[in-house]
Amino acid sequence: MFERTKNLNLSVIKQMEIRAHKYPDMISLAQGVPNFDTPSCIKRRVELALQKGVVAKYSLSPGLAELRELIEITLAKDHMFYDWEKEIIVTAGSIEGITATILAIANPGDEIIIPEPTYTSYREVIILAGCVPVFVPLDEENGWAFDCKKFAAAITPKTKAIFYCNPNNPTGTIYSREQLMELAKLAETHDLFLISDEVYKDFLFEEGQHIFSLAEVAKYRKRVIRLFSFSKSYAMTGWRVGYVHTDESVAQEIIKVHDALVTCAPVISQYAAMGALEMGESDVRMMNQAYKRRRDVICAHLDDLSHIFSYVRPESSYYVFPKILCDVPHHASDVHNDSVSWRFALWMLEQTQVVMVPGVAFGPNGEDHVRFSFGRSTKDINIAFARIKKFFEK
Amino acid sequence: MMRVLCKIILQYYLKVITKIVLFVHHPMIIVIAGSVNKTFVRDEVKRVLHTREYRVRSNPKNFNTEIGLPLAILNIESGYNSYKRWVPAICAAMRAVFQKDFPECLVLELGVAKKGDMRYLLSLVSPHITIITDITQRYIESFSGMDRLVNEYAYLVKKTPQNGKVILNWDNERVRALQDVATAPVTFFGFAVENMGEHGKIEEISKDSNGINVSMCYKGEKKNIHIPRFGTHHAVAFLVGWIVLTEINNVRTK
Repeated sequence: MFERTKNLNLSVIKQMEIRAHKYPDMISLAQGVPNFDTPSCIKRRVELALQKGVVAKYSLSPGLAELRELIEITLAKDHMFYDWEKEIIVTAGSIEGITATILAIANPGDEIIIPEPTYTSYREVIILAGCVPVFVPLDEENGWAFDCKKFAAAITPKTKAIFYCNPNNPTGTIYSREQLMELAKLAETHDLFLISDEVYKDFLFEEGQHIFSLAEVAKYRKRVIRLFSFSKSYAMTGWRVGYVHTDESVAQEIIKVHDALVTCAPVISQYAAMGALEMGESDVRMMNQAYKRRRDVICAHLDDLSHIFSYVRPESSYYVFPKILCDVPHHASDVHNDSVSWRFALWMLEQTQVVMVPGVAFGPNGEDHVRFSFGRSTKDINIAFARIKKFFEK
Repeated sequence: MMRVLCKIILQYYLKVITKIVLFVHHPMIIVIAGSVNKTFVRDEVKRVLHTREYRVRSNPKNFNTEIGLPLAILNIESGYNSYKRWVPAICAAMRAVFQKDFPECLVLELGVAKKGDMRYLLSLVSPHITIITDITQRYIESFSGMDRLVNEYAYLVKKTPQNGKVILNWDNERVRALQDVATAPVTFFGFAVENMGEHGKIEEISKDSNGINVSMCYKGEKKNIHIPRFGTHHAVAFLVGWIVLTEINNVRTK
């Protein structure tokens, strides 16, 4: 019974939220949810689609033609050239795109390399597909960068893909062109796919910043499968819409799985995605400015707590992933007693009612860390850290 | 209610200003309509005209409807849903009347989503060259059948003057049939075009990691080109750009 699911875990983030639920004054810096509402221009686009009566039916499996055209045009602005008819698939959030991708490219028993710490759900999807996640640690001393030698050492005849998140959740790292090109060369040598989850690619805090993607490099287009979600950039986590794009030879296999899983992405959300691409640019800029301010606020708080935390300043996304420097008391009754990051997160929840995610959720290399999200308002961040500071002043 | 009223007033205001601007500056107007691929054709036509040093303006984004089209012609920003943001846009509209160096060519997408849309858009602009890319069942929900939807495009073809040019997609049966209502001379483009001498034909497409290699011919001339993009629609856009560039002087001199 339950052979397929017995090794899956409920997300640690959800576990923390469930535990936090009984604390009436809790403040959650755990979930990666923007505190903004979906921009009004997007909602207006959806209202119009509803009025016209165009949302009730399935779309084509890869998505509405007009949305895919818009996606092609948007990608071209970032030097990524893909055919909307055959190479772009609109998905029900990026996680559905990830699931369809792994089911399409990998066979049970194949290994997929994940640099970690990284997004918690990758492991679960890989296991669900009957594959084996192989964790390769990122280098905290070097700003959570890739170390390609470690990737090379992890490759076996069973390795099918390297799957990374750029900018990375939970560290907020942007991988450099040089690091990514080195990774691509490795993938070419060993005939591997590169799955690039770029849901935070719009989180640009510096003027004129551009996040390089391997999907820009024509010679790697048959290897690189790139995913994007509207959830984070446009405050649309509840709409469940994103897209995947890759060379036709791969996309036409992914679409078979996508069709079997969901038939098509929710059509109403596809109209919302059109609104986002047509009119959401200024809202993205506004939200980025707010996230940048919040990043600075949360980093200032962490600086004040330098005896408790050390951290690498995030370059993107809305997460910071500090290392725990203090001694953490044992909590004999808890099943997570062996993990420092779990113990710290539960300790803080109990003592300060501030919710954070134990770093071990993001892979073994995330142990001894916690993740704070600055997707929440500055007010919430300030209250949460005031409580933590007060607790450690005692 | 207030929003609807404001929209009606804004629409009327933009229409009046647009008509004055077009009367004053009388640019060459190239319109592109169809269910898909309008933007790719628009961008290519704009690109090729730029290469011949025409001053060209086209719709930004998808500004191709009753409010968007005047904004495109007048080159002003949309205020979207913000009353406050519409104020500078309304002021800027008036200045377009007196603009120096107004573009010689307007390359405009026309968007049709419901019955009567084309009639309204053509009350704003009178095209010299009309291009129809494709007709599919997109937006069919707003029409009581495919014939009604096709009628919108037929109206556009009919309204293109005798000394203008109509450029149609041969490969789509519905688009091809629009030649019957055209008073302007018709040129076809496509993969299965007959009578190669007169019309534009894409003969072969192959793909490599850097894009597509296309072999095409028009009026007895053959071109083998590499386009650093993927998808047959880019080959079609290139061919249409070639046709427009060849025909524009014939239309202009008449």
